[in-house]
Amino acid sequence: MSLVRPGDAVVVTLAALLVGASWAAFWGGGGPAEFAAVSAPGQPLQQLPLGTDAVLEVRGRLGASRLEVRDGRARFTDSPCVGRLCVHAGWLSRSGQVAACLPNGVVLEITGGEREFDAISF
Amino acid sequence: MQSASDALARDDRLIAGFAALAIAIHILEAAFPSPLPGVKPGLANVITVIVLLRYGWYTAAWVAALRVLAGSLLVGTFLSPTFIMSASGAFAALLAMWLAQRLAGPWLGALGYSICAALAHMATQLVVAWQLFIPHPALLKLAPFLLTAALVFGMVSGVIAASVLNTLGPRARADRP
Repeated sequence: MSLVRPGDAVVVTLAALLVGASWAAFWGGGGPAEFAAVSAPGQPLQQLPLGTDAVLEVRGRLGASRLEVRDGRARFTDSPCVGRLCVHAGWLSRSGQVAACLPNGVVLEITGGEREFDAISF
Repeated sequence: MQSASDALARDDRLIAGFAALAIAIHILEAAFPSPLPGVKPGLANVITVIVLLRYGWYTAAWVAALRVLAGSLLVGTFLSPTFIMSASGAFAALLAMWLAQRLAGPWLGALGYSICAALAHMATQLVVAWQLFIPHPALLKLAPFLLTAALVFGMVSGVIAASVLNTLGPRARADRP
């Protein structure tokens, strides 16, 4: 009797496929990002569809932050803060990504689809 | 010619002996730390597979049931969530092996049975854990990791069982239940 029989090879293959499918099912990409959500102190949350290009000025604690939506991505273009970390965060395109200008209190978050992660930063 | 009660007693001894082996492995494994919660080699199933292939499903079911029961009593998890997980997993594994034997018995070796059992065991435990203990969708994110581990360990125990069966050789006539 040999160690491995023909049916075993079939079972191994099927099992590997099944396990692969479980990876795809549970760790596959989330849906597409749909909105850029912009929040600022004392203002209602703004949901900008990523599909429409837009330029936006949001008043924060220090002054006006400028945001831009283009080609399904969003970013800060300017903000009245010191380090401009929000601007250096660059383009955001995946659901869950966040850029924030904390001194100014303006937060930009990509939402929509099925979120793969709670937050993403680079 | 043997009487029915002789055959029964021999069956009992067989079951008791193999169950003792399985329980010993079960307890040894329980003593080892696990790299990831829910992952353990499941080497006790080697015994179940060997018994299944040599003595049939009925004997294997007894061995597995006794292993879960006595193992939990000795480790101290009887009727605890661990026990429920263990019992449901073992039940699913037995069911999977029964199905595999029905569908493809003549072509399957220890490796095939072991993988079927390992995956059924893990999948059932996941569902039970998710339904009964941690009803949070994040638990299902663990599924691929756990199933991959089950596949790997299923293959390992399958190869062990196959080589043990090889060493044991074909069963003598008188040995047959």
